[in-house]
Parts: sequence; C-alpha cells; structure tokens
Amino acid sequence: MNWARFAAGITLLSIVALSGCARVEIDKSIDRINKDAADFTEGKLILAQNLDQRKALESMAAELLAKPLSQSDAVQLALVNSPALQAMLAANWSKLADAAQTGRITNPVFSFERLVLGDELELTRLLSFNLLDLLTLPQRYGLAQHRIEEAQLRLTIEVVDLISQIRLAWVNVLAAQQNRNYAEQVFEAAEVSSRLAREMQRVGNFSKLQRVRQQVFYSDAATHLARAEQETLSSREQLIRLLGLSASQAEELLLPKMLPTLPENPRTPQEISKAANQGRLDIKLAEAELQAAAKAQGLNQITSLTDIELGIRQEKRSTRNAGSSISGSGYDIGVQLPVFDWGDMLRAGMNADTLAAVNRLEATVSAAGSELRESYSEYRTAYDVSKHYRDEVLPLSRIISEENVLRYNGMLTGVFDLLAETREQIRTVMAAISAQKQFWLADAALHAAVIGHPKMLEQSL
Amino acid sequence: MNSRRQFLKAVGLAGGAVAASLVNRVAMAALPEPVIQTKPETMPPLIPNQGRPYNPVVTLNGWTLPWRMKNGVKEFHLVAEPVVREMAPSFKAHLWGYNGQSPGPTIEVVEGDRVRIFVTNKLPEHTSIHWHGQRLPNGMDGVSGLTQPPILPGKTFVYEFIARRPGTFMYHPHADEMVQMAMGMMGSWVTHPRDKHPLIAEVDRDFIFLMNAYDIEPGSFTPKIMTMLDFNLWSWNSRIFPGIDSLNVRQNDKVRIRIGNLTMTNHPMHLHGHEFLVTGSDGGPTPPSSRFYEVTADVAVGQMRQIEFVADEEGDWAFHCHKSHHTMNAMSHDVATLIGVDQRELARKITNLIPDYMVMGERGMADMAAMEMPIPDNTAPMMTGDGPFGSVEMGGMFSVVKVRRNQQPGNYSDPGWYKHPPGTSAYEFAGAPTEPARMQSKMQQGMPRLHKPSTEVEVTVRKPKSTHH
Repeated sequence: MNWARFAAGITLLSIVALSGCARVEIDKSIDRINKDAADFTEGKLILAQNLDQRKALESMAAELLAKPLSQSDAVQLALVNSPALQAMLAANWSKLADAAQTGRITNPVFSFERLVLGDELELTRLLSFNLLDLLTLPQRYGLAQHRIEEAQLRLTIEVVDLISQIRLAWVNVLAAQQNRNYAEQVFEAAEVSSRLAREMQRVGNFSKLQRVRQQVFYSDAATHLARAEQETLSSREQLIRLLGLSASQAEELLLPKMLPTLPENPRTPQEISKAANQGRLDIKLAEAELQAAAKAQGLNQITSLTDIELGIRQEKRSTRNAGSSISGSGYDIGVQLPVFDWGDMLRAGMNADTLAAVNRLEATVSAAGSELRESYSEYRTAYDVSKHYRDEVLPLSRIISEENVLRYNGMLTGVFDLLAETREQIRTVMAAISAQKQFWLADAALHAAVIGHPKMLEQSL
Repeated sequence: MNSRRQFLKAVGLAGGAVAASLVNRVAMAALPEPVIQTKPETMPPLIPNQGRPYNPVVTLNGWTLPWRMKNGVKEFHLVAEPVVREMAPSFKAHLWGYNGQSPGPTIEVVEGDRVRIFVTNKLPEHTSIHWHGQRLPNGMDGVSGLTQPPILPGKTFVYEFIARRPGTFMYHPHADEMVQMAMGMMGSWVTHPRDKHPLIAEVDRDFIFLMNAYDIEPGSFTPKIMTMLDFNLWSWNSRIFPGIDSLNVRQNDKVRIRIGNLTMTNHPMHLHGHEFLVTGSDGGPTPPSSRFYEVTADVAVGQMRQIEFVADEEGDWAFHCHKSHHTMNAMSHDVATLIGVDQRELARKITNLIPDYMVMGERGMADMAAMEMPIPDNTAPMMTGDGPFGSVEMGGMFSVVKVRRNQQPGNYSDPGWYKHPPGTSAYEFAGAPTEPARMQSKMQQGMPRLHKPSTEVEVTVRKPKSTHH
C-alpha cells in the first residue's frame, strides 16, 4: 500500500500548491479599476457576464438616453452600453488569465498501463509531475502576481483612455453644435443683406456692383455654414461610435444645447499635485514592470525604489488691474524627482531586462512631471482665455451691438452696416465658444494627465 | 462805488449771470470782475444805464456782457475758458468759450466809446482775440505773432481802442485759430450809432447770432477739431434745433436780425411769410440804392449780414438755412436709400438677430422723427421737434419767428403756438380726387444717342398706396 500512500501524498501536495497559485477574478479586477480610476468611472464600470446583467445595463442605457446627455452621463452611457468596452474588458480578462497562467505548475500526469503477456496481466499506474516546477513555485507565483498587476494597470489605462476620448468627443460635439448655430446666424445676416440688396437693385436704389458685393458675403457665409454643419455631424458620429450606440439609440441621443459654463475657480496646482500623487498609472506600470523584471532575475531589494512624489507649485498669480483688460497669469510648476542611488543596484548586477525597466521607470517619472506641468499650464491658459472672453470680450461685443442699434435708430448708420457689424459680433461670440471648448478639452486632458495618461493632451490641442 | 453797484445791477439784468470770485482777488483788483453765464437761454436785452443810451440787441440763446465805466472808459472782462454748452435739450458739448458759454457774450458799445477789454486766458494753450471788422490801431487787431505776442495760459491782456464805426461785428481768436474756432470760441459785437444815422434804421426788435458748425461723434462730447468740411452739427450760437429759441415779435414791429457766419460754408438764410432787405454787413450799412427785397440771403464764410423787415403777418414763420442738411442734426451720409424697398419679410429675420431692430426708410426718413427710438447718449436726433401738428422733422439751423398781435413791447417770451383763425389753415380734402391730366410730350429728341443702350431701362415708380401708418 506504499503506492497508495505515495499517490495520496502527491495529490495533497498538488492541491496545496494549486490553491496557493495566482488566480484572477474579473469582478475583482473591475472593482480595482473602479477604485484606481474613480475620477473616470465613478465606480460604474461593469462587465456583463450573463443575460440578466446585460438586460440591467440596457435599461440603464435607456434611462440615460431619455434626457440630454451631460458629460458624466456620456461616460456612464459608454460604460453600460459600449460593446467595444465590454469586448475590451473581456479581452483583458483573457490577458489576465494568461498572466496568471505563468504562475502555475504543469499539471501532474497520471498514466495507467494494462499489459497482458500470455496469461499474465500487468497493471502499471504512474503519477508524474515536474519537480522543477514545484521547486520554483514560490518564484513563479511572485512573477505571476507582478504580471497580473501589469495587465491590470494596462487595462485601467485603456479604460481611462476610452473615457477621456468620450469626454473630448462630448466637448467637441457640443462646441460644434453651438458653432453651427452661430454660423447659421451669420448666414442669416448675410442672407438678409443679400436679399435686401437684390430688392434694392430691383427698385433702382442699388447698382449691380453694390448688390453683388452684398451677395459675396452671403456666398461666403453659406460655405462656412456648410462646413460647420459637417463638423457637427462628424463630431456627433464620433461620439456615437465611442458610446457604442445602435442606430436606434443614435436617433434618441439628446445633447445639451451649450457647453457647461466655466467653473467659478480653476483647479489649483495644490489640488493637482495632491491628485497626481494618489497614484499615476504610468508610474505604477513602470514600477510593476521593474518589479516583474527584478523578480524574474531574482532580485528582491527593488521594492525600496517606489518613493516618488510629484508636485506643482504656483509661485505667483497676476494681479488684475482694474483698468486693464488682459489678465496675465504665470505658473511655476516644480516636480520633486526621486533621487535614486543606483550604485548598489549596479553592483548587484542587473540583467538587461531589469536595467531597461529601471531606466524606463526613471524616464516615466521625469516625463510625468513635465507632462503634468504642460497639461496644467494648458488648462490654466485655456481657463484664463475663456474667462477673458466671458468677462471682457463678450461684454464689449454686447455694448458694440447695443450702440450699433442706437446708431441705426439715429440714422447714424445704415441697415447694411448694422448687419455687417452683427456678423462681426457673432464671430466674436464664436471665438468665445472656441475658447470655452478649449477649456473643456484641456480639462479632460488634465484629468487624464493627473492619473497618468498624458497622451490626451495632444488630442485635445 | 456807484459804478460797482450799477455793475451788479447789470448783472442782475443778465438773468443767470453770476459774478465769479477769482482766487487771486488782489491781482485782479484792477480788473472788472468777470461775469459768468450759466444758462443757455436767450437773455433779455441789457438796458444801458450809464454812458450814451442806445437801443440794445437781443442775442439769440445768448447774452450781453455787462461792463463798468472807469474814467470814461467802458471796461469789459472776457475770460477764455473750457465750457460745457447745452446745444439742445439732453445734448451737451465740451467746448471752449468765454465767460461760461460758447459763443461768448455780445459786447455792445456806442460809436465813439473808448473801450478797454481785459482778456484772461484760462485755456490750456495760448490765445488772442481779433476784433473782426473794427477800425482800430494795428497793435490791437489781435493777430498772434503778427501784432502781439500770444496770451499765454493764466495771463491777462488788455485791448483798448475807440469804437469808431457803427455796425455789426464779431470777435474770435487769432492764435491756433482753426482749433479754437472749431471748439466754439467766438462772440458778437454791436457798435450802436451815436446819433440818428441816415442808413441805420431804428427798429423795435434787434436780434443777433453767429452761425457755427461742429463735428461731434454721436455719443461723445468734444468736437473733432480737425474736421473742416464734413460737420454734423450746424448751429446758431452753438445751439441746434430744437434748442434754438424762437424770435418773438409784436405784429408790425420793425425787426432787424444780424447774422454772422463763422462756419466753413455759406448759408442761404430764408424767412417765411415776409420779404426783407439786407441793410448792412460788417463793412457797414448798405446804400439804400443797393437794397432790394428778398426772402433768402446768402451769408458767406466770415461775413455778417443785417436783414430788416416789418413783421406784419401774424403767425409762426419758419426761419432757417435753406441747405436742407443744415436743418438736420447728426446723421450719416452713407445710409442707403431704402425708399420703395419692401422690408417687412426681411425685418422678421433681422429681428431674430437684432431684437431691437425697427424698419426705417422704406417710405422716406420721416419714420425716424415719428418713432422716437432710443439713440446714442448725448445725441440730438437727426430730425425732431414737436410742433402743434406733429413732428417738425428738423434740426440744426432752424427756428421760428413768432409774430403776435398782443406780444407786448420789450417782452421777448415765447407766446406759444399760433392759433390759426378758422378757415386759414390747410386741411384735408374730403371728396374723391379725380385723376389728374398728365402731360404727354410730342417732341422728338433733338440729338439722339448714336448707340442705343442694349436694353431699355425701365423706371418704375412705386406710388404709395393708402397706408394707415
């Protein structure tokens, strides 16, 4: 009965070993994304794994589509509705599983042999397993944990990327809509001038040249309107794709008429520094890669290299003169870089992968600071410019419009000049909307930069 | 002391005039106290109570400067200074003038008077005064640089001469003249004849004013001093209709109006209901043989004209420059002619863009006076003025000579609108108008064009249909 005892022992060992093995559960992984990127998912990221869950998501989507979609509604809608997002989650689940697989030992092989030699019957039972696997199990386990961590972070970054794209797309479509409406007003003003000029020529008050000059504005305005229409349509379609809306859902899609107003106060550098230090995904990922490389090489002391701090400081703010119309602002954003003593590490002899990972981490940290500075500066500039439009340029434009009507009333200017001025003032409003749009794009980019996905900055510009 | 009391009495006569206490009384002790006018209305005539008597003039929307007698010399004190002139109700201009107003006060003296005029400069730049048309010693002619050094800011100069020639004159700066006149520096001068003069009639009412022009951007206050031709305000004594007082006379009064032109263009002055004679200029009275009756007399640049008539027709008689744009206030010359252009449908579209938009000009410009829409601050409407039958639709150089049976002698107050005796006022015809016969030319064109235009231009005139606006 030695055999039996041996077999039982092996089985037991296998169970113990397997139970300690790296495992992935997609729900936990999604919970973690909801936690790490709470600013993005608002805790609402779900992977529908069965019909009931699917139905629940559909009804949530219908609810969101029932009213004009705010920016955070748009994100929610994508989370519950986008098949592309669900596919991405599912695909990453499989990647996570692959990563986990590396931590497992090869399954024991059980073979059974029945041999008949004449009237002799020989039965052989053999349970075999990879002894090396078993011996390196603790190391494989650790490595797998780091690979899972890496995959997890990559998934989070993908989710952040998608959500940021939705935010940008939402801002773009709202701005395009508004722009289109004003382009239509410019068009109408030009159309009125043109029709009036035609009537003037008909009754003999205008020459052909005078009439044609007015008509040129009209043709020009028509071109602009056509472009603005196309811009609205294409930005809307882009949002529809990102939200993963079906044709019928796309028809239901309602959007607010105007971009949100500028926040009362911009986010402060202190706020941004604090948020940036709560875990940037790019740094975490570089750390995880380094951990994995080191683990693979059998180095343990690397854990000490994770003390990284980012910070932006605002050194001075401009003082606004009562009389001056332009408010300049200056920032001085500093990043506290970690100081590593690589000496020991080098002596310890890192292999190529580990060395690459170490340097990648350092590069990531340096770039993170720079990207954060740029992104914040972009955000603040956009805020100041938009505020300047709101507080200075638009009121001036309004006064010009009012005074022009008074001048028209007093026969101090004619209807054609009045309409031409109106077109000018509408263009000012369009410039103000463009500034507002830039702000909300920069805002979305800054959110992404803070969490460690600075690529968005380029897309927003 | 007597002269000072009389001087103050004279001040009282001048209505809103006040004696200004200058800061440096000691330095000014040798000077007559300057009298400052605070009101733009026509002041009653300043009846002389010292010196040789004369029949005083009435300055339209102006006043006569009181004087003091010192050892037989009439002493006046003019203060050149920045002023705020109300050019019309709710429209004030930042001008330069004398003694609180632009134009400055009228100076009235008698032929043969020795006159001493103190001129204090409170402007930011130097000035001088030229006594336009006077016979005087060359050094008193007031041409800065030529006959005297300029009067620097803060300085006082003295001009002294004998008023040798009776007549109507004016005074104005002759230092940075273009700017200072564009800013409103000028005044009238009357030298009354010492004795009965064969060519200068005695009249019951004697009015005087200067014509001036400004270019003030609607909504602003200060004239554009570099404008030389394209003025937007045509004024009499720096007033524009409806800010110009009416000339109120008693029926059968003999009336003289003395008019000076310090604008950059001529003004054909036209009086309704009467014929007048041009009896003189700043060169003196005209010989009777040269006088003939007219209803319009041109007053050229830098000239003065005296017109005289007997106001024997009762009523409210318009009196104005006959250049029609001179009887308009600020306006644009680039407004397109919209007459006959149907804008109703387009107006709706314009209102979408410009909510306060109102259609104007489709039938002419009278809409503007009728609608009374808000216009820029501190701007007189282009055409305005409420009369007894509606808007007068005028501005600029326009006023009314009011002839009334019961206007008491010496009373210059406004008698109100004329009450037309029944049957003497134009009325609406109640019957159906018949189609008028139209002339058809049977003439051949004498010299036809060699090349006919390819398409015959057809001119259609849209006639007004019955509207109820």
